Amino acid sequence: MQVELRGIAKRFPGVIANHDVDLTIRAGAVHALIGENGAGKSTLMKILYGVQGADDGTIVVDGRERHFSSPTDAIEAGIGMVFQHFMLADNLTVLENIVLGAEKMHGIGEKARGRVREISAEFGFDIDPDVRVAELGVAARQRVEILKVLYRGARLIILDEPTAVLVPQEVEVLFANLRELVASGCSVLFISHKLDEVLQIADDITVMRRGTTVGTADPATATRQQLAELMVGAELPSPELSADTVTDTPVLSLRSISLVDDTGRTLLADLDLTIHRGEIVGIAGVEGNGQTELVEVIMGMRRATEGSIVLAEEDITRLSVRKVRERGVGFIPEDRHRHGVVLDFSLWENRILGHQTTAPAVRGPLLSPGGARRDAERIIDAYDVRTPSVHTTARALSGGNQQKFIVGREMSGDPILLLASHPTRGVDVGAQAAIWDHIRRARQEGLGVLLISADLDELIGLSDRLEVILRGHFTAQLDPREVTAQELGTAMTGGAA
Amino acid sequence: MTRTIASPAAVRQVRYLTWIVVLAVLITVSLVRVLTDQNRMTTPGTLRLALIAACPILLAGLGGLWAERAGIVNIGLEGQMLLGTWGAAFFAYHFGAWAGVAGAIAMGALGGLLHGLATVTFGVDHIISGVAINIIGLGAVGYLAQTFFDGYEGGGPRNLSGYAVPREVTIPGISSAARWVSEQRWFLISDVAGAIAGVTTRLSLLTILALLLVAFTAWVLWRTPFGLRLRSCGESPQAAETLGVNVYLYKYIAVVISGGFAGLGGAYLAMVASSSFTTGQTNGRGYIGLASMIFGNWNPTGVLASSLMFGYADGISLLSNNGPLVHAILLLLAVLLLGYAALKFRRGERMTAYVVAGIAVALFAWYLAVDSVPSDFTGMTPYILTLFVLAVAAQRLRMPAADGKPYRKGQAG
Repeated sequence: MQVELRGIAKRFPGVIANHDVDLTIRAGAVHALIGENGAGKSTLMKILYGVQGADDGTIVVDGRERHFSSPTDAIEAGIGMVFQHFMLADNLTVLENIVLGAEKMHGIGEKARGRVREISAEFGFDIDPDVRVAELGVAARQRVEILKVLYRGARLIILDEPTAVLVPQEVEVLFANLRELVASGCSVLFISHKLDEVLQIADDITVMRRGTTVGTADPATATRQQLAELMVGAELPSPELSADTVTDTPVLSLRSISLVDDTGRTLLADLDLTIHRGEIVGIAGVEGNGQTELVEVIMGMRRATEGSIVLAEEDITRLSVRKVRERGVGFIPEDRHRHGVVLDFSLWENRILGHQTTAPAVRGPLLSPGGARRDAERIIDAYDVRTPSVHTTARALSGGNQQKFIVGREMSGDPILLLASHPTRGVDVGAQAAIWDHIRRARQEGLGVLLISADLDELIGLSDRLEVILRGHFTAQLDPREVTAQELGTAMTGGAA
Repeated sequence: MTRTIASPAAVRQVRYLTWIVVLAVLITVSLVRVLTDQNRMTTPGTLRLALIAACPILLAGLGGLWAERAGIVNIGLEGQMLLGTWGAAFFAYHFGAWAGVAGAIAMGALGGLLHGLATVTFGVDHIISGVAINIIGLGAVGYLAQTFFDGYEGGGPRNLSGYAVPREVTIPGISSAARWVSEQRWFLISDVAGAIAGVTTRLSLLTILALLLVAFTAWVLWRTPFGLRLRSCGESPQAAETLGVNVYLYKYIAVVISGGFAGLGGAYLAMVASSSFTTGQTNGRGYIGLASMIFGNWNPTGVLASSLMFGYADGISLLSNNGPLVHAILLLLAVLLLGYAALKFRRGERMTAYVVAGIAVALFAWYLAVDSVPSDFTGMTPYILTLFVLAVAAQRLRMPAADGKPYRKGQAG
């Protein structure tokens, strides 16, 4: 199926999300759409899938002009979409999720179940239709999403950053699945900002920047460099460390830390770890293997069942979060909206959070709005947070700017240890480079840094030492100077390194 | 988070366990009855009262279930029930019994539509809109009653009687036989016979309708494409939207049906539970219905079971001289809670087990200390029971994932 987008434009109040977008997807090909976060890829996809209407431009499917006012129209035209954040109802079964909205095809009973099994077998998906989605892992959920699209007989499948949540081995499996889909005559639109993957899978490449398509490239001849320049108009930054700053002075020592939850499940098992001044220790692992719990135990958000935590020669095992922070621990949480900022507070109010007992945020028993405002301004300057003023609410900022502000706040008050959980998740390339710089600078200034990330390049590039965590155990120690992303991925999934 | 694994074997085991629990409860009830010699605990008369008290709660609970399965918290059930009581009286007075039932459903559905307009179209917080509807319902019914009923024969500014109500049926043979068995006061057999006699004697057609609606709700929501779509709106409206489900429409349908159920519950109050209308007749049953839905874990059969329990508590508060009976029920509760605590202890949930056992011991001590419970207390029984039950069971309940959350179209992805 051939799909053409001509002159697509979409405006939101105060923002032009898309303008003059031209894109042609050939039948039976994998077409990659690349661009930085905020380049307008997701908006374009929502227009193509009918979630949002375009203000201008036309969509032509197999030579016929089409108008999509809802996803139903797009589905009917043979277009299916797999969203970056999966659109699945956790409490419903796989079958229910798949047949929802397409009940007219094969009903919701035995016939539909058979059809799901059939497609699942045809492409080697290995999915049981009667399992609740809540019980599936990320890769399996993604296959459910693709099944959902195939069940509706889609001929063009849109995948929005499908590899963001997968480890390298799972990416290989996904790519194999995509090749089979293309071989069976489907077209695939593959959205990504990971250039290596794009070069590996795509037959055609279109680049977007600032809301419009800026060029196309042939994956057979294009290089990473050329694509990067098209994407950002400049060389891509990469995470790398300068001279060795690691010392022998321990900042944080975990001694046989174990954590067992109420139902008796072991979340952390006998973990030993020492972080020295000027050292970045990276924790690699597939999400959900204990990284979150490890950070929560160190911060005092959860109490370790056994073991002790020593911060600069003081036992902090039983201290509250506030006390731990007062001892000099900075914390970049993995989900900044849940833990990092209060979205509807202004920046200066957010500056106080976590520092509500220390100057300049307080004076005596009272808050000091003036001090907090001045210090928030300092952070905005020093960390290049793009915001109209300190009175702006955190919600109004982009993810990258929110994250830069959090980094700035956590670095105030002379911390000695920085816990960075997925510090560059969901931020654009520019902010990513800036955050990497700040973490490197923290290391130079002699902080110990615990880095948790799902971005393997980031882990390898920034860490002095890597620990692999699997089901709550440290299963391997790797040297980031020697290990490849592929080897690290193998170690993370429990294979032989 | 606790996970339920839905493999067929596990489902079978759960069913099997459910039957064991039901049997154990039955035996306990029967034992306590024999021990305390409070035979009224399971006489056909008491159980018939309990069933009549349970039906409005059941209908409100099912109404709540419909709305919440589509992601809308309908705390306005109380107000919609009130509208239903007036609708039943007004339309039955003029056009006959079944027109009254239809009128009650329509009035309740109107309240539901208002709630839908506020929550779905305008994005008002569900609780605020619901509370507003309860207040509006109370005021509107007072005004309507005064305006219309004051001049009617058998009517006054706050009440109306003398209108037609749905027929009652007695199943011949079974009813009298079960009644006879129940009078023999045999262990267990007489208790079961009491229940059978309770549901076969002078049974209102509305009661039968209410019970059929349990099965109807389960069938529609879990066996039809319509139900799947409706439930998907409560679990993940964004996912439903991306698959072409008109989420707003389904939410509207759900909340209107919800109001209709509540209205029918109101009709039941004004036609079966009593044969006359008075303003403010619901007396908090909409809220109890909501509680029965929560305790029933958002499942039709669960709602049925919990509303029967609440109905029983409500029913015995209507019996005359019920002090000794409630006193006996203290013992029953103590024994049942002790059993529950033992179950929890075996599953390793020590903390819950200790708390529940503590409550059981306190109830037992109270049982020993007094001979009769003051009648003021018996009126509170259903509410106390609600608190108890929710405190004990709250951790095991799972509501629809997107229940009560605001949803706007076009935000998917």
